[in-house]
Amino acid sequence: MTDIHLPTSTDRPETAIARQDAMTSLQLHQIQKSYGAYHALRGIDLDVEQGEFIVMVGPSGCGKSTLLKTIAGLETISSGQILINGRDVSNTEPGERGIAMVFQSYALYPHMTVAENMGFGLRMAHRPKAEIDAAVLRAAKILRITDQLDKRPKQLSGGQRQRVAIGRAITRSPDVFLFDEPLSNLDAALRTQMRVELSGLHAKLGATMIYVTHDQVEAMTMASRIVVLNHGSIEQVGSPLELYRNPANLFVAGFLGAPRMNFFEVTVDSVSGRSATVSAAGLAPLSIELADGASVQKGDTLTMGVRPENLSVATDPAAATFAGQVRLVEHLGRETILYIDAGPLQCVSSESGNGTVTVQIGHVTAISADAAIGLSIDPRDVYLFSSGEAQTISTRKSILAD
Amino acid sequence: MKTLWRHHRWWLTPTLLIMPAAILFSVVILASSVESLWISLHEWDGFGPMRWIGLDNYRELFNDPQFYVSLKNNVIWLVMFMLAPPLGLAIALLVNQKIRGMRFLKSLFFIPLVLASVAVGVVFSWVYTPQFGLLAIIFRFFGATAPAVLSDEHFVTFAVVTAALWPQTAFCMVLYLAGLNNLSEDLIGAGRVDGAKGWNMLRHIVLPQLTQVTFIAIAVTVVGALRSFDIISVMTSGGPFGSSSVLAYQMFEQSIFSYRFGYGAAIASVLFVIMAVFIVWYLSRIIRAEERGA
Repeated sequence: MTDIHLPTSTDRPETAIARQDAMTSLQLHQIQKSYGAYHALRGIDLDVEQGEFIVMVGPSGCGKSTLLKTIAGLETISSGQILINGRDVSNTEPGERGIAMVFQSYALYPHMTVAENMGFGLRMAHRPKAEIDAAVLRAAKILRITDQLDKRPKQLSGGQRQRVAIGRAITRSPDVFLFDEPLSNLDAALRTQMRVELSGLHAKLGATMIYVTHDQVEAMTMASRIVVLNHGSIEQVGSPLELYRNPANLFVAGFLGAPRMNFFEVTVDSVSGRSATVSAAGLAPLSIELADGASVQKGDTLTMGVRPENLSVATDPAAATFAGQVRLVEHLGRETILYIDAGPLQCVSSESGNGTVTVQIGHVTAISADAAIGLSIDPRDVYLFSSGEAQTISTRKSILAD
Repeated sequence: MKTLWRHHRWWLTPTLLIMPAAILFSVVILASSVESLWISLHEWDGFGPMRWIGLDNYRELFNDPQFYVSLKNNVIWLVMFMLAPPLGLAIALLVNQKIRGMRFLKSLFFIPLVLASVAVGVVFSWVYTPQFGLLAIIFRFFGATAPAVLSDEHFVTFAVVTAALWPQTAFCMVLYLAGLNNLSEDLIGAGRVDGAKGWNMLRHIVLPQLTQVTFIAIAVTVVGALRSFDIISVMTSGGPFGSSSVLAYQMFEQSIFSYRFGYGAAIASVLFVIMAVFIVWYLSRIIRAEERGA
């Protein structure tokens, strides 16, 4: 595997010039997509640098797949501009955009052999046969499927088909790779393996990749930057840890992280300088540092968020921030999840759906169901969200946690 | 009783469910075919006693010039009918476009399907009517005189097949429309990303997904060509002088009009063998193609 010439996007002479003045591989400019009165995409702006691995996440129907298809050219855009290596491709045919796409269903041509599948794009581009064969072999070597080249897709397992689909993309040496939930049809073990391989492939090829998924583990582990989409708009863009530690708003805070962040409705008791004291029925007052520019007044109702791993069981019940009764204990081996009924302190849209507070303990615990326990919260781990726009108004957290 | 049912349910249920079809098939198809073969070895007027004559009917048949005319016409039917699948595909591709008013056009193409083939035959007889028919009017527009196609022994079969092609093409179109609706959107997308357009898209991405439909369209068309009968009966009654007859019509004519059921059965048996050979060959091809994973 050492001496393989890796196909990179610089193999395309017609775009090599464009790259010299712009390291931006893909630019999305105010992308809008409407189906009649329904707005699938509402003004998407995004600049992707050469070699980035962008993962787009969001709930179903958020527009992430539609966005990917508009980049591929499989869907037209209602307005806006798509630039690949500085070239406006908004109205270009998919085959001429310099992209390659890996589909969730693999979408291999069933009547062609693996080699024919992989070489089809170059064949359509009327490249000489020797060049096609070389490109196919090169891609097959990278993915270790050289012994499958004469088989048909039907004879392959799910994981092998996935490799062929990726190989087909590599063979075309595109400027931008597009992945539409490529691992969701694989079983859990294979998914983990392919995830690691894809990350390795990205490092090896150094190519720009756009990856759509609903799996946040894939997003957190593979992305150089995550794009969180909701209702056809970008909620936040940033590195995985940045998004996890400093979600811009309640949606991102609730979307990233499993188990989900706990949200409580709290009232502002007092504001002094850059910090606010909040409390709720059953919750001892907490003094939380506010971000610059946050305008909070006494009496405001805010949403407070605490991640399950930031709640700890209080050894001294008097020092606990709130108390409750354990409803359910889930032993996961290396960690334990507790669902706690905190009486008057109800969790808004909780993990379990019935208002219980989720607590994640990083070890095995002897706590059993029905036990009464106290829990403490470090105010530095608390997020505050404004009532209307649900923007984060607590101060930034350091990415490398203490 | 209850335990008896529980113990034998595993084979009783499928047997009971298959039974009606199996009985119907054996009575209507198998028994009739065997009896037909049996009759073909006799001289029989349909009423009186049957007289065993061995293979005499077949000997006579293979020396009958009308048999070769019918057989030749069957070949013409078969070859011309092969236009129906590609024409049907072309029309299906056309009306499958998302263009305003296409739904209306689509329903127009559906019409011949709901017409009885007797009605199609009558309509085309009018089209071919010398002096007043649509064909005559078109010829007159170009300053020519239309031949009386239905009374010309060289044109008559082609004229009848053209009429029969109309509903057959519509049928193939419906098959292909259903097939086009089941195309994989992802495969089309993959093809577009790979740069396949127009003819290449059709040839490499769309047609391979329509293989199954094509198999069915061709099989139905071949059988339709071989068993063509009603439209000939309506348009020409096999005439002039038997020049537009086919095996199925000749069989009917010999049995019903000439009271020669034995001879008619012999023609039917030959037709049966031709169809059986084709179907066996064709099915084996389909099975082999499916095993290859197409």
